[in-house]
Amino acid sequence: MTRRLSLLLLCGLLAFSGGAGAVPFSLPTDQVPPREVGVSEHLGSKIPLDLTFSDENGAPVRLGDLVTLPTVIVPIYYRCPNVCNFLQGALARALPQVRRTPGKDFQVISISFDETEGLADARQSRAIYYQAMQQKFPTGAWRFLTGELPAIRKLTDAAGYHFRREGNDFQHPVAIFVVSSDGTISRYLYGTSILPMDLTLALVEAAEGRVSPAIRKVVQFCFSYDPQNSKYVFNIFRVSATVILLTAGMLFAFLAWTGRKPREPESKP
Amino acid sequence: MSTPSVTASDRGFLGDGKYPGIFGWILSTDHKRIGLLYLYSTMTMFIIGVILGLLVRLELIAPGKTIVSADTYNALFTLHGVIMIFLFIIPGIPAAFGNLFLPIHLGARDVSFPRLNLFSWWLYLTGAILAVTSLFTGGGPPDTGWTFYVPFSVQTTTNVTLAVVAVFILGFSSILTGLNFIVTTHRLRAPGIGWGRLTLFVWTLYATAWVQVLATPILGITVALIFLERVLDVGLFDPARGGDPIMYQHLFWIYSHPAVYIMILPGMGVISEIIPVFARKHIFGYWAMALSGLAIAFAGSLVWAHHMFVSGMSDTAILVFSFLTFIVAIPSAIKVFNWVATLYKGSISLEPPLLYALSFIFLFSIGGLTGLILGAAATDIHVTDTDFVVGHFHYVMFGGTGMAFFGALHYWLPKVYGRMYDKRVATWAWGIIFVGFNLLYFSMMVLGLRGMPRRYYDYVPEFTNLNVLATVGSWILAFGLVVMFINLIRGMISGPDAGMNPWGGKTLEWTIPSPPPTENFAEIPVVTTGPYDYSDEVLAPEARR
Ligand code: HEM
Ligand SMILES: [Cu+2]
Repeated sequence: MTRRLSLLLLCGLLAFSGGAGAVPFSLPTDQVPPREVGVSEHLGSKIPLDLTFSDENGAPVRLGDLVTLPTVIVPIYYRCPNVCNFLQGALARALPQVRRTPGKDFQVISISFDETEGLADARQSRAIYYQAMQQKFPTGAWRFLTGELPAIRKLTDAAGYHFRREGNDFQHPVAIFVVSSDGTISRYLYGTSILPMDLTLALVEAAEGRVSPAIRKVVQFCFSYDPQNSKYVFNIFRVSATVILLTAGMLFAFLAWTGRKPREPESKP
Repeated sequence: MSTPSVTASDRGFLGDGKYPGIFGWILSTDHKRIGLLYLYSTMTMFIIGVILGLLVRLELIAPGKTIVSADTYNALFTLHGVIMIFLFIIPGIPAAFGNLFLPIHLGARDVSFPRLNLFSWWLYLTGAILAVTSLFTGGGPPDTGWTFYVPFSVQTTTNVTLAVVAVFILGFSSILTGLNFIVTTHRLRAPGIGWGRLTLFVWTLYATAWVQVLATPILGITVALIFLERVLDVGLFDPARGGDPIMYQHLFWIYSHPAVYIMILPGMGVISEIIPVFARKHIFGYWAMALSGLAIAFAGSLVWAHHMFVSGMSDTAILVFSFLTFIVAIPSAIKVFNWVATLYKGSISLEPPLLYALSFIFLFSIGGLTGLILGAAATDIHVTDTDFVVGHFHYVMFGGTGMAFFGALHYWLPKVYGRMYDKRVATWAWGIIFVGFNLLYFSMMVLGLRGMPRRYYDYVPEFTNLNVLATVGSWILAFGLVVMFINLIRGMISGPDAGMNPWGGKTLEWTIPSPPPTENFAEIPVVTTGPYDYSDEVLAPEARR
């Protein structure tokens, strides 16, 4: 959507689209019932570091052993037919341009929230995105994890990242977040248009232990979108468009038909 | 030309109103008084907007938190955007100068529906007050950016509802003004004014009015839906309840896409008035000018219709859109070409109005070209969410419409008040504004190319130098604006008598006294030539004063 809107707005409009990306909604936790899809930012709180996931080799890793640097955490599911690919693709494009040293100043961890995914999915994803970066990113600086449902839930709940399973797929917000080396959440980033400079800045903040609310952007969602659902709204619009057009057409016909007002020179019209 | 001698002491429509004091203004149905009401209110909004813009820039002078927190920063730029777009740029030229001069250009005594006209201004005022009130009440100022994107704007706890209602009311105001202008143009032309003798300013107002009447109702409906969503919690845009958050963006652009033409067309009309007068030449390609305005409006309406009748964004849709945007570039280019052709071999006098017109052409062209870069580069360099975009659209809107507005002020205020400002000071102010403008927004474009994100109050330290430069530019720009306004205000209050026709213009407003009398024309004129006929002029500078 982002890229597409951008394309058509080139004549100056684009300007306002805010890149058509996105805005977060940061709500106090108590206003978001836990299983509603969305993000409630938990800035300043820590992710549980004692959780255990599996890495791309199938070996168990404790989160606390991994998170020793400012870390970008990317909640996705590898088999997502949809936006997760764009999100990781955008990361792959942005990461080599981040002005910090990967592996030394920061790292990236993708974590699947689909508990049925395993080693193979993680490996495939890893291959794809390292390929996309053409090896311009050190091995080991972007990890791809999978895990069991309880661990996944603990992590995403702690981060205020709420998703919902729909059959084989998920409804989930498109967001990543940055934690500092002690696991404190310092910034959320939304949408699939990730600027290298946004990431750099977020990592600088994480390194300095600063916590900042997100750059306001619309949250995008990844879900099996069914246009039927909002059809009735589009119908409202189609009907009103027809009415507007007809009215405008009638006005024009009327004015063209009756022409100039016959005027008596001396009276004020 | 035999002209009755008129002095500034003859106060024309500025004299006694129907009611005493302020009521003679805020209850007046005289199009010129309403035009001035709009002028005063849009200028006030502009000044508030500039102050907010300066604060935004000041925050960016150094990395980290400088004067405001992240949340306040969001509120500042949102309000800056809302005020500049909805309260200054969109109503500015059509409502203020359109009301002042559309009937006079048509040889009419007023618009077709004078009371409706007054009502529009009251709507505008109500909307403006609500928008500004949203700053101080409720859960804090809106912080969504001027596009009010949901779901953020549905969920944020800040005062979006009030801002949204304000935009709704403003939409109505602009529909009514549009209707009024359309009917007036059709029905109140003086004898002899066929469609081929309309001034280009009237042509652009007419084209703009149609876009307004078509597109603005959608803004109303969209905004009403957000309102429902926030108040009744319907779930239209909430994916968790089967709604579609993307749809809202779609709906917003149904309005915003044509709205861009509403913003720029009247500005082009002003430039088309100024250039022939100061080049002493007939405008080059009258019909090309008139029709390119209509073409822009038509393309705008097509985009609108497409948005309305085709849901979702198929690949074909994208193709159609890209094509349409390119189509729009063509009439714009035609206009620029014709202006330059008009100036070519003209007897040019570099008076302040012309200086603003020239800076319009220059800055607007830069804006247009960077727009093309934006479109083309979007896939490689990621500039869409950076300061590059911010620089680009300030070039288009401020460098374009904003400069046209200042040009209109310098061109027409001597007619409205019958007094002349100090031209030397005006020229200086123009120079300062021009320098400050480019320093400010060019730096921002460079910053954007280097990756500085927009809509954020903090940045990495290596961007500091350019940010300081941009902020200093904003101060120079602001200083120039202050000089310009003071000079104009002083001129209008106590400047020397401007006379009936200080610039040697040929359009109808220059044939009546300054300030114009309440009824404009003692007798409805019978027009026998086109509006830009300088064929009788022996290109002698002393023919003007
Ligand atoms: C002295 C004059 C001005 C200054 C210093 C100024 C400064 C700025 C700055 C720094 C931003 C970027 C905020 C950010 O993205 O972080 C901005 C945004 C904006 N400005 Fe201006 N500006 C000025 C005049 C204008 C004018 C005349 C217009 C309208 C024609 C305008 C329309 C906008 C809009 C629509 C935005 C986007 C707000 C948003 O992102 O929601 N500005 N301005
Ligand atoms: Cu997904």
